[in-house]
Parts: sequence; C-alpha cells; structure tokens
Amino acid sequence: MADTKENLQLGPDAFKHVATNTQAQEKIAAPSLTFSQDAIRRLKQNKFALISFWILVIIGIVALLSIWFSPADPNRQHLAYTHLPPKWGNLNIPFINGYRNGIDMYAKNGVPKGTYFFLGTDYLGRDMLSRVLVGTRVSLFIALLATFFDLTIGVFYGIISGWKGGTTDTIMQRIIEIISSVPNLIVVILMLLVFKPGLTSIILAIAMTGWVTMARLVRAETLQLKDQEFVLAARTLGESSTKIAFKHLIPNLSSTIIIQTMFTIPSAIFFEAFLSYIGIGLPAPTASLGTLLSDGQKVLQIYPSELVFPAVVIVVLMLAFNLLADGLRDAFDPRSDNR
Amino acid sequence: MQPAVAKSVAKPTDNGTVYTYNLRNSKWSNGDDVTASDFVFAWRRTVDPATKSQYAYLYSGVKNADKIMAGKAKASTLGVKALSKDKLQVTLEHPIPYFNTMLVNPAFFPQSEKAVGEYGKKFGTQSKYLVFNGPYKLTGWNGTNNSWKEVKNPTYWNAKNVHIDQINVTAIKDPSTAMNLYQSGKLDDASLTGDQAAVAKSKPDYQGVKQASTFYLELNEKKIPAFKNTKIRQAIGMSINREEYIKKVLQDGSIDAPNVTPQGLAQDPSTKEDFSKEAAKGYSQYTQYNPKEAKTLWTAGLKEANLKTLSVELLTDDTDNAKKSGEYLQNTLEKNLPGLKVTIATVPFKTRLSRSQNGQFDMVMGGWSADFPDPITFLDLFTTDGSYNDGKWSNAQYDKLIEQSKTTYATDAEKRWQALIQAQQILTKEQGIIPIYQRVQAHLVNPKVQNLKTAPGGSYNFVGVTLKK
Amino acid sequence: MVKYVLKRIGYLLLTLFIVASITFFLMKLLPGTPFNNPKIPAAQIAILRKQYGLDLPVWQQYLNYMVGIAHGDFGESYQFAGQTVSYLISTRIGPSLQLGVQAMIIGTLLGILLGAIAAIRKNTWVDATATIFAIIGRSIPNFVFAALLQFWLAYKWRLFPIALWDGFSSSILPTLALAMAPLANTARFMRTEMVDVLSSDYIELAKSKGESQWQVVAKHAMRNSMIPIVTIIGPMAVDLMLGSLVVENVFAIPGIGQQFVQSITTNDYPVIMGLTMLYSVMLTVVILIVDILYGFIDPRIRLSGEGN
Repeated sequence: MADTKENLQLGPDAFKHVATNTQAQEKIAAPSLTFSQDAIRRLKQNKFALISFWILVIIGIVALLSIWFSPADPNRQHLAYTHLPPKWGNLNIPFINGYRNGIDMYAKNGVPKGTYFFLGTDYLGRDMLSRVLVGTRVSLFIALLATFFDLTIGVFYGIISGWKGGTTDTIMQRIIEIISSVPNLIVVILMLLVFKPGLTSIILAIAMTGWVTMARLVRAETLQLKDQEFVLAARTLGESSTKIAFKHLIPNLSSTIIIQTMFTIPSAIFFEAFLSYIGIGLPAPTASLGTLLSDGQKVLQIYPSELVFPAVVIVVLMLAFNLLADGLRDAFDPRSDNR
Repeated sequence: MQPAVAKSVAKPTDNGTVYTYNLRNSKWSNGDDVTASDFVFAWRRTVDPATKSQYAYLYSGVKNADKIMAGKAKASTLGVKALSKDKLQVTLEHPIPYFNTMLVNPAFFPQSEKAVGEYGKKFGTQSKYLVFNGPYKLTGWNGTNNSWKEVKNPTYWNAKNVHIDQINVTAIKDPSTAMNLYQSGKLDDASLTGDQAAVAKSKPDYQGVKQASTFYLELNEKKIPAFKNTKIRQAIGMSINREEYIKKVLQDGSIDAPNVTPQGLAQDPSTKEDFSKEAAKGYSQYTQYNPKEAKTLWTAGLKEANLKTLSVELLTDDTDNAKKSGEYLQNTLEKNLPGLKVTIATVPFKTRLSRSQNGQFDMVMGGWSADFPDPITFLDLFTTDGSYNDGKWSNAQYDKLIEQSKTTYATDAEKRWQALIQAQQILTKEQGIIPIYQRVQAHLVNPKVQNLKTAPGGSYNFVGVTLKK
Repeated sequence: MVKYVLKRIGYLLLTLFIVASITFFLMKLLPGTPFNNPKIPAAQIAILRKQYGLDLPVWQQYLNYMVGIAHGDFGESYQFAGQTVSYLISTRIGPSLQLGVQAMIIGTLLGILLGAIAAIRKNTWVDATATIFAIIGRSIPNFVFAALLQFWLAYKWRLFPIALWDGFSSSILPTLALAMAPLANTARFMRTEMVDVLSSDYIELAKSKGESQWQVVAKHAMRNSMIPIVTIIGPMAVDLMLGSLVVENVFAIPGIGQQFVQSITTNDYPVIMGLTMLYSVMLTVVILIVDILYGFIDPRIRLSGEGN
C-alpha cells in the first residue's frame, strides 16, 4: 500500500556487522496472549483498578442483597425516633455512640434498650442504613439502565453514521451537533418538566442526552475500521452490512465502548444527585443517593451524619468507577504499555 | 385597626355602601402632596385591564369594578371619587361589612399620577422608578436582584416614630446559608426551616410568628367518587395525628387547625371570642386523632361506596415542608385506613397550583392565607361555585349561609357572625376539606431589635421599632 | 479560513433556530401562566391571557416569539412582572461570568500543575496522590462540596465571607467550589499528554543534549502538553454552567445559574427559554472559538475541518 521511499545515500561502510544470537531472538519473553487476555493481565497489574473493581462488585452485591435482607423497611416511619445519631451497639466511640452534643439521644427519645440504628435515622425516623442501601441500589439502577440505553443508541447511531458515510453521515453529524450545542443538563431539565417526574423519565432523560459522546467515538472508530482489510474482505465475500456490524465492527469497538460506559455510569449517578438537589428528582418516598444527599445537605450543620453516609457512598462509587475506567483505558490502549 | 393616611377609620353610610375618608396632610417622597385624586388615579389604573394588574380582582364589589375588569365599562366609571383634595368617597355595589379591613392590602394604596406619567412603562420596575409615601424608600433594587435597601423616608407622615434609618433585605434560598449569616451577625432576622427551628427553639432569640394561613387536604370529589362519601372524608380527617405531625415533622411551632379559619383572624362582635375557637366548640372531634373511629367510618364508607380498596395520588409540591408532609400523610393514611393506597406526585409549586385549579389531582395538600382579617376570606372559598373549591365539595345549606352573610345579614354584625360560625361548623363536620395546621413561621431575631410587629399575612411593620444599644 | 468560519457561523445560526423552536413547543406543552398570584379568579385570568397574547393560536405565538428573538426580545418574565427576559439576564450575567472565568483560570492552572507533577513523578506516591485528589474533586457532588467549604472556611474559621455578592473576597469560595471540576479534568488530561510527550523522541534528544530535567520540562514538555488542553475547554464550559446552578444557590449569588433554578421551580417559561438559548449560544461560541484557535495552533485540524 503506502510505501515511503526515502532518499538515503549510504555506503556499505555505514554498516557494521553485529553478532546475532539466534537463540535469543527466537525466545518469546512473555506468553502469547489474545488481546483481551492481555488487557486483563494489564488491568490486574493496576492496583487501583483492581481494588476498585472488587469494591464495585461488593457494593453491587450488598445493594442487591438488601432487596431481601434489609435491616429494616426503608420507608417505615417512626416519628418517635426522628433524627437519631448513629449507634453501634454499646461501643462508646464518639460519633457512633448515640450521643449528640453530649446528650444520649437514644435515651432522650425513649428508644428501648437493644434497638440501634447503625447509621441513625432521618427526619421521619426511618432507618438510614436501609435507606442508604436502597438509595445505592436505586442510583445504580438508574445509572446502569440509562447507560445501557445510551450505549445502544450511541453505538448504533455511530456505526450507521460511520458505515454509510456520505449524505447520511453529514445529516447525522449535523443532528449531533445541534443536540450537543445545548448543555445536556438543560435538555434533561426540559424533558423532566414535560414528562411526569419519576424513575422512568429520569432514566430516559439521562439516556437521551448521554449517547452523543458514545456515537461520536464509535463513528470515528468505524471510519477507521471500514477501510481495514478484514472488513473489506467480508464485504467482498458479500456479507450483509448488519452481519458485518455484529461480527466485525462491534467486537473491535468493544474496548472503546467498555471504557466509555465506565465513564458514563458515574456521570449518570452524579446527574441524578444533581436533579434531586434542584428539586426535580425522584418522587418521595423513594430513596436514591441524590435524594438522600439533598435532604442531608439541608441539615448538614444540625445532623451531619445524615449527609456523611450517603456522601461517603457516592464518593466511593465515583472513585471506584473512575479508577476502574482509567485502568481499563490504560489496559486497552497498547500505547500505555510503558506507563 | 389603625388609620394611616386617613384621619380615622370611616363608618359607612347609605346602608353600608358609601365610605367617605378624610385624608391627613402628607407628602410623597418627591415632595408632592398625597391627595384624594392619587387614590382615584391608582384605583382606576389598577382595575383597568390594560394595566394587567394581578390583584385587580380584590376590587370586586366596588361599584362597576367587575364591569371594568371585563372590559364592559370605562375605568372612569369606578365607584371612587375625590370630593376635595383630602376627601375620598368610595361607592360599593352592595354592602361589604369588612371593606375597611380590605384596604390594608397594598392593591388599594395610592399612586402618584405625576410619577406614573413621568416613568411610563418603567413605573414600578426598579426602585428608581418609584415614589413613596410610606415609612421607607426602596433603594438599590434593579428589578431583578435579590437584595435591596429600605431607607427611612423623611416625608412619611409618621416619620418621628421611625427609628431605624436603613434596613437591608436579602433573599436567600439555602436555609443553612441564612443560618450561617445570622449566627455570624450578618443578619438580624432570619426565617428558619423546621429542622433549624427544632434546634433553635430553646434560644432567647427564637420567635414564632403566627400567620393567618391554614393548610388543608382537598379531596377531588369529581375525579374520585368515593370522596363524595362523608364517612370516607371524616375517616381521613380522624386518621391524621396532627399533634405528632406538627411536633415531629414540621417542628416549627405550627398549631393544629380544627377549622379552616385560622386563629387570631377575627373576634366575636359581642363576646370577643376568637372565631376559630368558637366554631370548634363541639366540633373538634372531627379533627381529633382517633384511629379506631376512623377505621370504623372508613370501612362503613367503603361499603356504602361499593369498594374494597381505594388507590389515590397525593399531589404535593417540592418545597421542604410539602415534601415531608406528603411522605408523612402517605404513611399515616395507609397505616390507619386499610385498603387505601397512596402514591405521591411531587411537582414544582406553581405546577401544583395550576393542577389543583384544573382539577388534575385526587388529593392535594393546599393552603390559603387571609386576604383581609375576616372569616369570609376563607369560607368563601368552599361554596359550590367558589373559584378555589378545587375538590368540588358541595353543600346547599353551607351555600345558603354564606349567601345570607353577604346579603340579608350584611349590616347585622351579630347575625352575620352566627351564620359564618354555622357555616364553618358544617364544613368541619362534613370535612369538605380536611384542615391540618395553621402555619407559624419560625424566626431568629436579634434581641437588639425591639417592638417588631408582623401582620397576620407575614409583612413586617417597622414603625416604632427600636434598636437597643 | 474565512469561508470555514462563515460556514460554521451559518450552522450555528441554524442550530440556534432549531433549539429555539424546540424549546418553544416544549414549553407550550406545559401548564403555567405569567400569573404569580394564585388567588386570581378564573374569569380574571381569561382577561389577563388576552392581554398577554396567550389566547392567539399557537403558530401565531410562535411567529411572534421568533420575530421577537430575532430582535433580541425574549418576552417578559412570568415571575418578575414587567421585567423583560433580556434585561433580567443582563443584570445577572455579570457575577456568573466572573465566577466562570475565575474558576476556569484557577482550575486550569492548578490542573496543569497537578497533572504535570503527576506525570514527572509517574508511578510514585506523588502521582497516586495527585490522581486520587483529582478524582475526588469530581466525586463529591458540588452542592455538598460548596456547603462544606462555606461551613468550614467561612463560618467556622471566618476566612472568607459566608455568602452574598459583595466584592472580590465574596467570590473566592464560590470560585473554589466551581473550580474543582475543571481542575480535575485538566489534571487528568495533562498527565496523559505529558506522559506521552515525556517519552517522545525530541525530549530524549533534549535530554541527550544535556539539558536538566527541569529545563526539559519547562522548555519543551509543558508547552507541547498544554496545547491539546484547548480541546477540553468546551466540555469544561458545560461543567461550569452546571456547577454554577448549584454554587450560586448555596452562596446566594445573584447570577443566571440561580435564576435558572428559580425559573424551574416557578415555571417561569420565558426565562427558561431565554436562558436555554443563552447557554446554547455560549456553548456553541466557545466550541467555535476553540476550533478556530486550534486551527491556528495545529494546521492539520484546519485542513480536515475545511474538507468536511
């Protein structure tokens, strides 16, 4: 194909013989690995990414298990026990001993002995631990589902745009340009104003605005892949475009898709929190990390524990997703070999 | 009630339809005299549909006001006349026993014809396009900012009793920010959320300001036929533990409301007893927490309505109190009334209002503040064709009593009072709406500020306020 | 180049036209009126609607609205009676712009520094700390972060004003709160770029010429790694707009972000539409400027841009 011919004038004296060790040349230092095996190997070497992965797995399992094994009903109100601080059994450690400003709040509110709230209670006396668990689950659910939609739309849009090319591509790119010229937060807000606020509309609103980046990345990759030999070969053999897309394009796009997905999930979690803060989030009494945080922020100075726990969860989630995404990007990117 | 720019509170003549006010000598902040024709000008301007005033409806009852608002008569035909520079005469369509009390509303204040002419369209849009005859002049308000200053107005007729030279006002949405500013001495008065109030209650600078606002549940009888059943409504009324709700959820010192008419609004003309308290005598059981009775009524009501279960949506807005109240009510109603399923719909405040008015709700927590200190400002809402009877509760006897209070008994204070009391008792017994609480706004006020008074509507009166050194 | 810019501006106008149309029809689907007072009787509302031209057929309202926009007139606010949307925005945009620019400058500068340090000390604890710090900056929701800043730095330690818009000192905390997102983004981006640059041939050459590491970094690596940062200015501008909605609310700053949140909760549709248009204009203009700038810096981009 493209051979570069350089106009070099070198005499034979410019070279000298180097002794060759054929045995050494034949030796393969590392075991032969497929691309994904190689990526996983690299990922395993990245301590942060590995820890993050396991943290996410644990959080996911705990959040899921809490459907059946919640310490209490997260929506059960106990007006006698509102705003209790955390208490871990009889441990007398500040912040988790049930005292606030030197007063035993459990005794003051007449909580029977043996009843503890590990993370305290909220303004309606609901168990914070159960709410944080259910909130994590709801937030993850929103993020995963929104990301799934945004991935589907984005991948297909990108592939079609890149594969068809020509006028189709131009029109599709113009549409993307228009969509991305409105900050997506504004689009989400406008959509939530029009639709009935709730889980479905939040997921749809986030998905509808998030796919643009994915579509762009996928299109760019598709454009490159389109001209590669194995795709050309498939085409020559008369395979249909759909088949090529599923058999050849998507597998080769997988690293881009996975990395982008890992970046989309945390931003969806963030978005949900933000929407709750400005008052168009999930309807009560459903808990999500967003509603817990925005309720907690209002009483930050009075009952700090109600903000701290959901905040810790969201920070850990965000950290883990971001570090894992970073790790994945490095692992999939051959350039990062020497990093 | 005290006269301000009038020399005295006028007594009506001509069977209660003509009021003549003698004005005192006073000046606008630009030096002009405040005259009777400033009132005439202002009132005509307000009712004129071209002005697009959103408070013009308050004039309903003044001669020709309704016709002018509907565009069927000229603004100059309004029943208001300047007899001389300091004599104002108002003519009404029919007697309005509480007309004097209505005049405390700013919609009836005078406007300087000269200033309005000079500033044209800009009049009132910024502090520099305004003239004042009150105790303070507004400055530093550009029409859109969140903070402004009130500077003492030397031309105010009672300026000698105004002791504070300047008041800075800032609107702060985040309650913790307001609290921080107050505690570091940047503010002298801050209003509190319920959670803040619960903590601040024991402090010496805590004040609860009782307001003439009641919050209540409206049940949409048109959309949910089961709500037409009186027993079902009564069951809902009795299944709410108002005391616990106020103490634990609202926490701002609000008081439970046995009636829709709040306490402290009006007094019996002969015994001086409070309207709300008088009306509640013998009727308080309908708003008393009684889960057992509620359950009995509920089961009987469901049977009569041929239902086994009932699912309704509770519409609330996204303000802090409304959100918490919604969650509480959902829980307590479902707990006490077997077979009831409540879902919550949270919408922005203004969407809640428009959905209530258009009947797009099953059950909604709404509120009403007095326009003027008379029970009719509340009771008028719930007549069969009342514009705010969102739930469409209807009772012929109630309608008749309200009608009588405005016509037959309009000039007989005692009989009118009895009619209103009876009407209130019908509304309570029937639970046409379900009263929940009367709002008390919790404040922290710098103890140096003394004699600060608040009107039931929530507005401050700074005349006579002093700062202790 | 001129032709390219003109073409881009043409697309920009088309985009804004479409955005305006879509927002208009979305808003028409929603309940809400210019009437603030919940106590106006229905009959009175009918009269007022006529006064506001809300009784006209939708297409006529649309035409009026679009003609208005062409003249820079976005109508009157529902919430602030008698104030035009354009005036409202003009009085409130100052603090927002100032905060945005300050946050952008501080965020990028600190981000570049942090990213560069991380890259130079690659795979050491310095790198790890810088990376974690940058990610934490993006991991705390900014309404929580802003509230914490206010509570500790202003209320407890009294280093800065608690809130309100009163001189430069009151802009420090909101700027810090806003700067976290651009800081984190720049730091991560800078690190990646710098690592690439540091392992490139010309750096090796410079090193082999005997320049010290400090000289290499200052003279070659910094400059070449910073150029690509121009490309993330667009997304950062979006982050700042998002952040301002929250930060202005917490610090009670009379800016457009706070106004936007307020307009949502009060159904002030003309203001929502006006601000949506404003945000879109700002974003598209920023992207356009970035593209043009980049065309100057890197000729390859310009060529491919023209070919598109």
